[in-house]
Formats: sequence, C-alpha cells, structure tokens
Amino acid sequence: MSAPRYRLVIAGELGPRYASAFDGMTVRAHDGETEITGPIIDPSHLHGLLERVASLGLTLHSLTPLETENGESDPQPHTPTAWITDPNHSIHRNLEGS
Amino acid sequence: MQPGYSIGVIESKISLPRVQPGMLRRSRLLEIVDGGAGVAFTVVNAPVGYGKTTLLRLWCIERPEAVIWMTLDAADDDPVRLWAHLATAVERLGEGLGARALACLGVRGAPVETAVDELMNGLVAYGRPVAIVLDDLHAVGSERSLGSIAHAIERLPGNARVLASTRSEPAISVARLRARGALMEVRARELAFTVDEARELIVSEGIELSGESVALLVERTEGWPAGLYLAALWLRDLDDPDEGVRAFAGSARHVADYLTDEVLTALAPQTKDFLLCTSVLGRFTPELCDAVLGREDSAAVLAELARSNMFLVALDARAEWYRYHHLFGELLQLELGRENAPVLRRRAAAWCREHGLVEESIEYAAAAGDAETVAELLVENDREFVWGGRIEQFLGWVRWLPPELLLGHPSLPAAGAFAAGMLARPAVDVQQLLAIAEQARREWPQLWSPYDEAVVEVTRAALIEGGNVGAAVEHARRAVAAARAGADVLSVGVLASLAQALLFAGDLDEARRIALQAVERPDAPDVPDGYVVSLGLLALIDAEQGRTESAEAWAREAIRFARKRFQADLWTVSLAHLGLALACIATGRLDEAEREALRGERLRRSPQPTVGHAHALLVLAHVRVARSRLERAASDLERAQRLIAEFPDPGRLRAIAATVEQDLTTARENAGSGHVVEAPSAAELEVLQCLVTGLTRREIGAQLYISLNTVKTHTRELYRKLDATSRADAVARAEALGLLDLTESPG
Repeated sequence: MSAPRYRLVIAGELGPRYASAFDGMTVRAHDGETEITGPIIDPSHLHGLLERVASLGLTLHSLTPLETENGESDPQPHTPTAWITDPNHSIHRNLEGS
Repeated sequence: MQPGYSIGVIESKISLPRVQPGMLRRSRLLEIVDGGAGVAFTVVNAPVGYGKTTLLRLWCIERPEAVIWMTLDAADDDPVRLWAHLATAVERLGEGLGARALACLGVRGAPVETAVDELMNGLVAYGRPVAIVLDDLHAVGSERSLGSIAHAIERLPGNARVLASTRSEPAISVARLRARGALMEVRARELAFTVDEARELIVSEGIELSGESVALLVERTEGWPAGLYLAALWLRDLDDPDEGVRAFAGSARHVADYLTDEVLTALAPQTKDFLLCTSVLGRFTPELCDAVLGREDSAAVLAELARSNMFLVALDARAEWYRYHHLFGELLQLELGRENAPVLRRRAAAWCREHGLVEESIEYAAAAGDAETVAELLVENDREFVWGGRIEQFLGWVRWLPPELLLGHPSLPAAGAFAAGMLARPAVDVQQLLAIAEQARREWPQLWSPYDEAVVEVTRAALIEGGNVGAAVEHARRAVAAARAGADVLSVGVLASLAQALLFAGDLDEARRIALQAVERPDAPDVPDGYVVSLGLLALIDAEQGRTESAEAWAREAIRFARKRFQADLWTVSLAHLGLALACIATGRLDEAEREALRGERLRRSPQPTVGHAHALLVLAHVRVARSRLERAASDLERAQRLIAEFPDPGRLRAIAATVEQDLTTARENAGSGHVVEAPSAAELEVLQCLVTGLTRREIGAQLYISLNTVKTHTRELYRKLDATSRADAVARAEALGLLDLTESPG
C-alpha cells in the first residue's frame, strides 16, 4: 500500500532552491503561497517535515490529507489529528499557531 | 566515572558568544528581560530568526552578575552530557562548586536528578547572583533531559535565574511555574521590530531610506528581525534602496527566499563559495574551514565576514570558533544543494578526527552517511563513552548503525548491549544487540576480545537474573574468566555479579569468597556499583551465617560508601540494608530491622519481576514474622511467591520461601486465631500503605504499577473490611490493627 499523501501550504512563494529541502515532494508556488504535496509515510516523517518548515523560518498555513490517486480515500485512513493531539508534542503547537 | 575515562566538554558550547557588529541594542526588550529579576525561569519563545539569542547575549553582556551560557544541541538528549557541560561551567564560577555534581554524573545508574541537586547546592554555596542561559532549548527532546531541567528550575536557589531561548513551547511543566509567577515569557509579538527600531537599524547601517520605505519594509517582513537584517545587508550596497524596497514589497515571494537571492547575488563569487561550502559545518574554526575548502586563507575571510555580515556568530571571546545564524546556515545549505554536502562533511569528519574532536567527527560522518567511519570512531572510543558516563549518546549511535556493519565490528554490539543493560532498557532491546554480538563473535573470532566476552556475559548474567539463576551463574563465571584473561578493568563488576548469582543459587560459601575477592581489590572503590553490591553480599551472608558483628560492619561500610558515592537510592545498596536487617534481628533490635528490610525491599522494586526483588520480599517477610507482624509478613510472602512462580529457575528462593512459610504458620499457631477483621489481601495492603502517604489514587496507581480502576477496587474493599467510611478512618483503623508499616528511615 502506498503512503497517504498530504498537502502543506506555506505562506509566501518559494523559489526552486527550496525543492531540495522537501525531498520526494512536489513544491509549487502560486498566489502568494506555496503548496508542498507528497507522501508522508509515518508520524516521524511528518514531524521531521514540520521541523524543516520551522527551521527554514516558514509559516505553515495548513496541512491536509489528500485522497489517493484512484479517487478512493485511503482504506485505512490516517487521521492527522490523531498524530498531533498529544499536548506535549510540539507539532500540536505549530499547528495551533497557524 | 572510572579514572582515565572521560569525554571532554565542548568548549564552544559553554562559552559566551560575541555579539556581532551591527546588531541593534533593543532597550525595549532588555528592559522586559530585566523586569524578570526574581523570576526563576524566563523563556524567549519565537520562531527562527526572531533575535532570541542576540537578545539574551546583549542582556548578559550588560549584566554585572556571573553568566553561565550553554548552547544546547540534539546530543544533549543524553542528560549526562547536558549536565556535565553545565556542571563544568558552574565549577568555573568557583572551584568545588560543580565538582560533586560532576562526580555524581560519573556514577552509572545514578539518577541525574541527584547530580542536579548537587549542582543547585553548588549555586547556593556560590551565593552571588548568577544567570544561567540555555540557548536553543528546542534542540532537546528527550524526556529525561527535559525532566532534569524542570527539576533544576523547581529547585533553583534565589540567587539564580534561568533564561532559555526556544522555537517551541518547552515540554516542561511551565504551567505550574506560570501559576506561581515564577515564569516570564517573551514571545514573537514582543521580538518583532517596531518601525522605530527598523529605522534605527537602517540608519546605523548607513542606508538612506524614506520613512515610507521603512514602514513598507516592516510591513513586508512583518517585523521579522532576520528579514530586516537580510534587507539591511542587501540595501546598503544598492544605489537606490527605496526602489529596491518597492520591488520587494510588490513581490509575492517568501521574504527569506527573496532576500537571500538578493544578498547572495551581490556577493563576490569567492565569498559566496566560501559561505556555501562552510554552511554544512555546525561550528567551525578557520583551520577546519581551510581543511574542508582546501584553502589557506579562511582566517582572513572569516575575520572580514565577521566585520561585515551579521549572520556569522563568533562563539567565544578569542574568535576561535564560529557558527552561522541558524536560519542563514539553513538557507546557504539549500543553495549549496544536497549532492555537494557529503564530501564536505567527510572532510570535516576527517579533520575533527585528527584533532581529537570525537563527538564532532562522529556527527559529521553520520550526517555524510559514512557509517563505516562512525563505526571506526566508536570502536576507538567506546570505553571513553561507556565508562565516562555518556551511555545514552553511545547507545544512540550504535543503534543508528546498520546491523550488517555492527557484525564487522564485534566490540560495538557487545558494548551496546552492555550499555543498554546499564540503562535498564527493555530486555528485548538488550537481547537484540546480544544476538548481533553473538553472531559477530562467531563470524570474527579474531576480533573478539576478552573485554567483549566479559561485557556480553555479564550483561547476560544480569538479564537472566530475571528468572534463571543457574544460567546467570554460568554466564557470570564466563565473564569472570574473560576478565581474568584480559579485561582487568571489569574485574570488580563481574566478580560482584558472580557473587550475587551464587547467593541466589544457594552457594553462600563461594559467594562470600568471590565477594571478598572483589572488595579486596585495590581498584574496588573505583567501581562504586560493584563495590557496594559486594559489601552488601558480605553483610547478608555473614548475617545469615551468624557472624553478626562482621555483618553489621560490612553493611554500615556499604551504606556509608553508597551515600558518599551517590548510590544511596540505587538498588545496589539494597543488599546491605537487608543484611543489616538480619543483623538487627540477631541483636534484638526489631524496629530497626523492619525499617532496614523495608528500605532494602523498596530499592529492589521494578516494573519487571526480578529475583532480587523476590529475595528482598522474603527477607522482609522473615523480619516481620520475627516482629510478630504476621498479616504483613503473609502479604510479603504471598508477593514473593507470586514472583517466584514466574521464574524458570529461582535457585534457593523456593527453599527460603518454604522456611518463612513454616515460621509464619508456627507463629500464627502460637498467637492463636485472633483475627478481628477479614484480612485484607496483599495487594490491598500495598494500597493501604499508600493511603497513609496522602498520594492521590492516580499517583498510587503509578507507584504500584496498577491501573486507577484497580486502585479504586482495592480501596473499596479496604473500606469494607476495615469498616471505614473515609480515608482517615481507614488509616486510623489500620493503625490500631497493626496493619501499617513503620515509616521509613530517611536515607
């Protein structure tokens, strides 16, 4: 089974140099925002990605799970909120602030 | 810490960084931080680029009092590394102030909180005001490190305050501090530049900009300091800065992206190249840059950059070590591109290795994906890490290496298993490394040293102590043989391990002989855990065999030494308390006997069933029979028997249990059947004991490793059996019926 896909939206349009910061994901800038889409295999992958966002000084506008390519939703849906509701977890705060 | 084994501190982590020229003195913010005098904990909490470190550095420079500065990084997830650096810094405030904490950190298994307490005592002794700055607190993620920092803040003496910079809410319990006014927070909204401050910056950089443009700049960057400093760097070389700001404001590009482009484009190609290539270095000296770039003029380039570019930070007063501002470093690395980084990092690893910077060279090699070099460096330094107390850090690297590579370096899985055992990691983690070590030993017998053999066997002996006493004896014997064959440094520890296994197996005479060998070695006091266990074994065996005076002397020596060497709260001293308890019975001091036995039993408790704990329960039951506290004795015996039933080979414990049971029956017959109430079960009695302490039911559950619901059930049953209607009532009834333990003696 392929990993569930997600979309992160970042404030501001990012140039091509940022592509290498988000390996394996598609980076697309338009209308004053940047969309980063791609598979996120597990919570620690997500955590790492959000840390990248923070260490590059980027502001996260939203994080959304996407439906799989064939249009069906993931047969075993990973609810992103289940990963991020641990109150001791910094990701939670990153999202709360957005 | 074993003599001769220690990992040094990284100087640039604890030196006060210099403030770069061009940094604005922001009196508005300095006053906010000043206002926190008397507040224990000040947190400067904002995303990257908000000037957190700069603010704290400026504040420190203007303070009359002493400052301890510590730059945290991910390796501080090992609390021993973290506190070794802080204790070293405190020691430099005055000789002896951090020495006890440093000594404590070297004791394997000692809770790091004990070292923290010692360090707080050092600060009290210092007496004068001191500020402790924890820069980049967000880099630390481990519960053990964060817990130890919280512990320190809770116990901070009045002459000290802690200030931290962090990108995310620190995962330490700030809510309680906030509630009692012991917390001050400075956040992004305060740190953002006002238009006035931006104008001040622009003017100080000699840039001529209209008021309108300054306002536009602040609006476009939202006052983000990194954005404004980047803008200043760019605008000061423009002929028409107002025009530049207008173009910038009209663009939808990300602030940092846009400005980095502008700044990098304006640089001379050689300077740009220098910045990009050195961006992979966390901390660097001119020599390291020369080595990585293959040039010889890095000192001059760095000196020039330090004058003109506010994103280069000199980490110490002598300007030996530098780093880039975190964000600027990240942006440079993006520009450098991934494919170019590994070769640069490999060169950095090689240079650090040549210069004895072990940790740094391992980190660079790991970042370059060069697992082979990481393995080699660990093989060269494993004893420094393991015996120097940096066990977690070492284990983290071992676990990072792929198993195939571990196989080719047998001493790594061996030392890794030893480390995991010392850290009381789950048995399956230890087993996994033991299995790799076993395979490595078969495949590379010529690389397998007596030291590897001894640490593997002693780890196995300790592991199987959880249930198979006979096998533990065998493994411990092999460990002793290996230590004799060529790992003398391990002798005291493995002898203690063998003596303990022999005690549980029932061979008291040989156990005594081996324990004596351990304590008579001149290096015994240098191995505090092995020494304390051996002394305790001698106390216990002499007491059992009727040599009361000598038993008491061994026990007192063990307890005295343990207290001196920070082991008073560790399981290692349990045997000495049990031995002392038996000696006390022989001389009729029954109250003292029960106190000692209880302390010995408490120290042996653990989430997993262990032979040591079952044994301690039996000694406690025996003591309580002698004291005619028969209900409590029956409950201790029942708990011990429950544990024993789980062990494949409990050695002599079954025989001891039978004797205690017999004594109990006899005592009950003599006492007649005098049960006035339905006797509470063993589990209920444990809960009863906790009810006295005033713990909440949730805390009782946590302490006894049972669920909240189980606590509730037991409490309900206790109330029924004691005919009580409240906690106080139940405690009073239990007291009257003699169901409660004596309070434990302190220490």
